[in-house]
Amino acid sequence: MSDAPVPNADSPCPEIELTSAFLDGELTEADAAGAEAHIAACAECQAFVAVAADVSEAMRRPSARLKAPPLLRARIRRRLDSEASVRPARAGFLWGALSGAGVSAAAAAFIAVLMLPPAPESLAGAVTDAHIHALSAGRTIEVVSSSHHTVKPWFAGRAPLSPPVAEFAAQGFPLVGGRVDRVLGQKAAVVVYGHGKHEIDLFVWADRGAALPASGVRLGYHTVFWKNADLDFAAVSDVAPDELSQFVRLVQAEPE
Amino acid sequence: MDSRRASFEALALPHMDSAYSLARWLSRSPTDADDIVQEAMLRAFRAFDGVRVETVKPWLLAIVRNCFRDHAVRAGRTQPIDDDHVRTLAFDGPDPESEAAWASERRRLDEILARLPPDFREVLILREMEEMSYREIAEAIGAPVGTVMSRLARARGLLKEHWNE
Repeated sequence: MSDAPVPNADSPCPEIELTSAFLDGELTEADAAGAEAHIAACAECQAFVAVAADVSEAMRRPSARLKAPPLLRARIRRRLDSEASVRPARAGFLWGALSGAGVSAAAAAFIAVLMLPPAPESLAGAVTDAHIHALSAGRTIEVVSSSHHTVKPWFAGRAPLSPPVAEFAAQGFPLVGGRVDRVLGQKAAVVVYGHGKHEIDLFVWADRGAALPASGVRLGYHTVFWKNADLDFAAVSDVAPDELSQFVRLVQAEPE
Repeated sequence: MDSRRASFEALALPHMDSAYSLARWLSRSPTDADDIVQEAMLRAFRAFDGVRVETVKPWLLAIVRNCFRDHAVRAGRTQPIDDDHVRTLAFDGPDPESEAAWASERRRLDEILARLPPDFREVLILREMEEMSYREIAEAIGAPVGTVMSRLARARGLLKEHWNE
């Protein structure tokens, strides 16, 4: 798309873009101070601000917000449900195909390749793998305790960092314990919380300066990544995504 | 409900009103908006794996915007916003009296916004109606932040001519 065809003739002030970005709160403090001083002295920018404020007010009125009609919502949900049911979880589908009588050797080989666990080429895959591996080996917890006074000191000398450990029992996420695990060869402290019959692993490792992968769902486990100070965090669990988000917000709100 | 469907429900469907509002203001037509949102939601669901939780909204609105453009091209309108296609934006309001007032406010706004070239309209809608940051808008329209900044300034500059008519 080109911006070329529209003449800018009615806004000849060269500062107009800064004035506009100032209104949107998109300038740094220093630039904002400069823009404010400019507006105070520029009649043209003052007229621009007046119209922009009117436009903004009109576009943010409740009358301007349009809501998706209930019938449309229902239709979309139905389409999504049928879309989801023709594409069942990969493992279930493949096991079904394997147990079928007429699977050719080539198809079986193809399926066998798909069934291999994904290579932990990405951090996202590595964290999910570590979580699943610990679950299946029955060793998610090396120190069992619902007290942060026990769990936090336990990591000293075992992990190369001291992870924040808090008790969220009152909010429905009791502290269960901790372990030391490896993510792509790097030692990570894992603080384990419970939620109903589910478990949430909070991986914490020293920031390596790399961008974190996308939060999302892999192999049925939801993963949320974030950074805080010089630590990287990943929460992994099979709880519902909104419950995991609630947990993540609790952890992020903890001072430390 | 499978886990992908469940996470789509929890993360993407809360933005359905935003998706619809954008489709409606861009297309200026209730029936087109229905088609666009339905198509966009299905496309989004198929591509949902690995989307960052904090960027779901700009990601989804980018799909809505692309569906709108595809829809406009299919309908043989390369300039989807033109005066031949002005339609009313009547909609269900809280009661008949304010509904009438709201409908007339929306119509006036629609007529003024319709004078903006589509590239400028969409950034203004994303900024003022969806209250998105420049970075989120940049993500939604697939352009640099600097482009968002200059288009918004020019959109507002153009509106200056028509606003008090």
